[in-house]
Amino acid sequence: MLTNLEEHDAIVRAPDVIASVRDLKIHFRGKRGMVHAVDGISFDIRDGETLGLVGETGCGKSVTARAFLRLVQTPPGVYAGGSITFRPRRVCDDCSGVGCRECDGTGRVAAHCPACGGKGCRTCGGTGEETVDLLSIPDAQMRALRGNRIAMIFQDPGKALNPGLTVRDQISEVFLQHRTAEILAAAGVSPNDVLLRRQASQKSRAFEKMLLAVPPLRSGRNRVDAALDTMVADALAQTQIPNPRKVMDRYPHELSGGMRQRVMIAQALACNPDLLIADEPTTALDVTVQARILELIRELQQRHKTAVLYISHDLSLVRRVCDRVMVMYAGRVAETATSQQLFRRPTHPYTRGLLGALPGRGAHRGRLAAIDGTVPELVDPPAACRFVGRCPDEVAACSRTDPPMVEIEPEHAAACFVHAPPGKAAATRPVRTP
Amino acid sequence: MVDASLSRPPVRRAPVETAARVRLRRTLELTGRVLSDPTTVIGLVIIILMLAMALLAPVITTPNVPDPYQMPRDWGAVRMPPLTEGHLLGTTNNGGDVLYGVIWGARTSLYLSLLVVSITVVVGTIIGSIAGFLGGRFDNVLMRIVDVFLSIPELIFALAIAAVLGPSFANIVLALAVTFWVKYARIMRAQIIRVKQNDYVDAARVIGDSKLRIYFKDILPNSITPVMVQATMDMGHVVLVGATLAFIGLSEAGIAEWGVLVSEGQAGISSGRWWASTFPGLMVFLWALAFNLVGDGLRDALDPRTEGR
Amino acid sequence: MTMTADASLARQPATAADDLVVSVRGLEKHFPIKEGALQRVVGQVRAVDGVSFDIRRGETVGLVGESGCGKTTLGRCVAALSDPTGGGIYFGLSAQHRDRLDALLAVPEARRGEAERRALAEIEAAHRIDRLQGNAWRNFRRNCQVVFQDSFASLNPRHLVKDIVGRPLEVYREASGTALTERVVELLEQVGLGRQHLYRYPHQFSGGQRQRISIARALALNPEFIVLDEPTSALDVSVQAQILNLLHDLQQQRNLAYLFITHNLSVVRHMADRIVVMYLGRVAEAGPTEAIFDRPEHPYTGALLAANPDLTDDLDGAMRTLEGSVPDPARPPQGCRFHTRCPVVTPACGWEVDDVVRWLADREAGFDRLSGVERKDAFEADLVFEDDAAVAKLSAALRSDAVPMAMREATEALEVRGRKLHVRFRRVSEVELTPRGPHHEAACVRSGPLPV
Repeated sequence: MLTNLEEHDAIVRAPDVIASVRDLKIHFRGKRGMVHAVDGISFDIRDGETLGLVGETGCGKSVTARAFLRLVQTPPGVYAGGSITFRPRRVCDDCSGVGCRECDGTGRVAAHCPACGGKGCRTCGGTGEETVDLLSIPDAQMRALRGNRIAMIFQDPGKALNPGLTVRDQISEVFLQHRTAEILAAAGVSPNDVLLRRQASQKSRAFEKMLLAVPPLRSGRNRVDAALDTMVADALAQTQIPNPRKVMDRYPHELSGGMRQRVMIAQALACNPDLLIADEPTTALDVTVQARILELIRELQQRHKTAVLYISHDLSLVRRVCDRVMVMYAGRVAETATSQQLFRRPTHPYTRGLLGALPGRGAHRGRLAAIDGTVPELVDPPAACRFVGRCPDEVAACSRTDPPMVEIEPEHAAACFVHAPPGKAAATRPVRTP
Repeated sequence: MVDASLSRPPVRRAPVETAARVRLRRTLELTGRVLSDPTTVIGLVIIILMLAMALLAPVITTPNVPDPYQMPRDWGAVRMPPLTEGHLLGTTNNGGDVLYGVIWGARTSLYLSLLVVSITVVVGTIIGSIAGFLGGRFDNVLMRIVDVFLSIPELIFALAIAAVLGPSFANIVLALAVTFWVKYARIMRAQIIRVKQNDYVDAARVIGDSKLRIYFKDILPNSITPVMVQATMDMGHVVLVGATLAFIGLSEAGIAEWGVLVSEGQAGISSGRWWASTFPGLMVFLWALAFNLVGDGLRDALDPRTEGR
Repeated sequence: MTMTADASLARQPATAADDLVVSVRGLEKHFPIKEGALQRVVGQVRAVDGVSFDIRRGETVGLVGESGCGKTTLGRCVAALSDPTGGGIYFGLSAQHRDRLDALLAVPEARRGEAERRALAEIEAAHRIDRLQGNAWRNFRRNCQVVFQDSFASLNPRHLVKDIVGRPLEVYREASGTALTERVVELLEQVGLGRQHLYRYPHQFSGGQRQRISIARALALNPEFIVLDEPTSALDVSVQAQILNLLHDLQQQRNLAYLFITHNLSVVRHMADRIVVMYLGRVAEAGPTEAIFDRPEHPYTGALLAANPDLTDDLDGAMRTLEGSVPDPARPPQGCRFHTRCPVVTPACGWEVDDVVRWLADREAGFDRLSGVERKDAFEADLVFEDDAAVAKLSAALRSDAVPMAMREATEALEVRGRKLHVRFRRVSEVELTPRGPHHEAACVRSGPLPV
């Protein structure tokens, strides 16, 4: 399909885009047919920005996020179409990830496209940077990206941390998986030492462990362990955990909810990822703790210039945290805009409905602008606006075809026949890269 | 063109629903879910065939007089192989007709399993309910008793009881009942403690309903499923253990029981007379397998985590 | 705009002369911590530790606080779902009776005379919910209902909607047969459902609809008072708005009183006439909604408000946040329980030995040689270390600005005695609620508005 390819080229060329989702469809096999949980959504994530993904239960926001790491269970899930292209960076050679002038303090630099060696070719869309389709790469490559270039923070830290492992074990796992060379370098061990290299990549077998416990080899093992401990402590210290060396030996159940979430963040940011996916990271926390965690994520993000995909159902939080916001409804994108635009000029009736439904300073009791009805079932939905039936401004066209995303102002697009009519003015055109 | 499943709350048809009809539909739905698994259906078919065999035993065979549960002895046809005239599956060392034993053995097994399972389910459910629902001291005392029972291996315990009481079919029932109730008490208690924490129990308290009614309306119906699954599986397990006890000789000799038959036939296996042990052994295997298949199917279909969602 | 006028009228705090639905006095609920095979009681979790407030007819009292502050436990006690370990909950007191009760309770138990004791027993027999008998108890039960947070767990999955909503009517034999069905339909219609929903199971409904069913059940006996335990926390905002509107309409029609328990400040601000803010089992601040939101007197309230994101916030202003985490409710801090995290703490807030221990727990190596604490009381103790260096180091640290200034000022004695460090802090009693404005109280040693 030519159009798809063109579209694909267009996005990948944009220099600051690190991930772009095109026409992503994720369906679930249900008893009564295919549930279209995510039904053709497209968006970009730019380097270093925080993109908010907002919507209510069942709108497909978590499924979208999980698709980045291919964590959607298949079956019942089915990747029914579309792509997620991602540009993984690599650790900066000059500063080995600490951050220097060369890499603009981020510790990460662009990786060369393996097909053309950086000259620019069809695979990388001419940028010369490594570009992968997250939905089609082999499992091994996916595993190499998970926790390394793309990391995720889950909603409930109590469930996402393994209750049987100490904090040290959980965080060192990330390093052992992705940072073997660095561990060995920090320990001052030759990278050719097979035994230690296997230890530093979590491949030691039982007999190797026994060997490593023998005195002449033990010192090397201890050095590797010490190097690893330092790395873990540093990762924890980044999240402002007081006394990280003490916390390292604790089990998750010994920590408070806020501390657990910090451990998760430390784990997620340990390898300095390009993209952090935060799936309702503060929903399980109290407000006062939530505020601190949000501040922490923001601060770390600014320091490392990590892009964040922030998933939330809470508009008032998103307004505080995100640079750009994408509102999803029933598996589709309803509206995308910068935070400021969205809250100043909400366009899609669903966005307006959400904002009106928030109990706030202005609302009178008993007169909250609730959205009538309930979210539609997404079993084999027909071509129509998903908001039909709940929309106050509905017209005939709404139940006949899908509304396209139409740009209202730069950076601001909505899928609504009424408030963002396609082709109304010459200036408005369907946008591919919102 | 617009599909009814989309967005618009579909227009409801005139309400002709009644509670009875809705409940019937739900029962049918659950039955359908159970029957959607082919292995469950295989198990069910075997069970139905076995039951038919057991119930029709007096019709398809000529009952032995005076006691049809005693093997008839044909001393003129000892150690006959299968397909002998009049002895389709052959005869034993003592001239017992293997086919008769297989058919009446099904009846014996049905008796045994129904008796043991119904006694143990009732006892176990009551004790588990008291422990779980009342909690506190009752719970402590009852569960320590359960622990004592659980710390003795089931088979050895049953064996010991049966041995002390002397070889008889009734004593096998008793021995199995004494060992099997413990499981139900355990399951029931755990279920009740879990179900008790649901808000709908508190909601019933807030309404002012009595403890007993809360137990029967809210707690028991929502706790009983795993007990029923276990009971189904035990229908097979009881026969397995019962046959073992009979095999060792803790049942009356000469009774039409699969375990007894296997025991009677085992001496001949080395001399090539395989049939006297094989057919009853196969029956025990099929019986236990069938109930296990159905039990598994029930567990999957009635899983409290998926049920009703 | 009439709308505005109505709303502001409804928000006016009721006058003292109004009748009370529920009065909570000195309520305590402690859960024993059991350990070992013998289940020996080794401590008490003080989930609710001396809480008093009133709920008047037709008003909404919001109960806010973070997880673990005891708000849900308190709600369960008020609904008589758990028995308090101290204090009492009184139902249906008139204003005079309430005043009489308060006067009687003000006298310490040991000094109560025979007449006072009899008068108290009389009020308790007629109003205290754990002393109610027979018809009085049934009357309370009918008039106090609960709506729970988890709409799925609060409806029996095996019962049809008709059975669920009709059950209260059956229990009190108010209706049966067709009459019962009609009453149920009426109730369903009041909550925005209808006849077509009668014969369905809870799992066939969405979360919002299930919550409506719960509300219909709560309304069945026409109660005066409903405990709403986080009724919208599990719902999406658009559905939450529907439920909040419904609750408000029902309150208007039936003059219901609500105890609205929530952690969501925007919701409570929207719904409540008065607010009670709880922290670690105690009331930090209580007062009319506007007063609490516009002039918070307790630093904890201030912190909660600052941390709550709102659509009208100033985006440039940083979110103000709190340090540390909530202390263990089995060993609540002395003085003001919030002093361990308070941004405007003073020397009089209740600095104690545990503060030193807590401070040590967050320090790097060198201090982890603490081998024991010999307590005289909460404010005075010897900290025993394994070596002399640690003692000297801690002694120096406690004099430096590594610890809050208020803590240093509250230190009355700090001496090194060999491997022991003797510390004594100013003795402080528990901080009581003091009046701050009309019907507005806060438990803080400071007075005057919070510094911004």
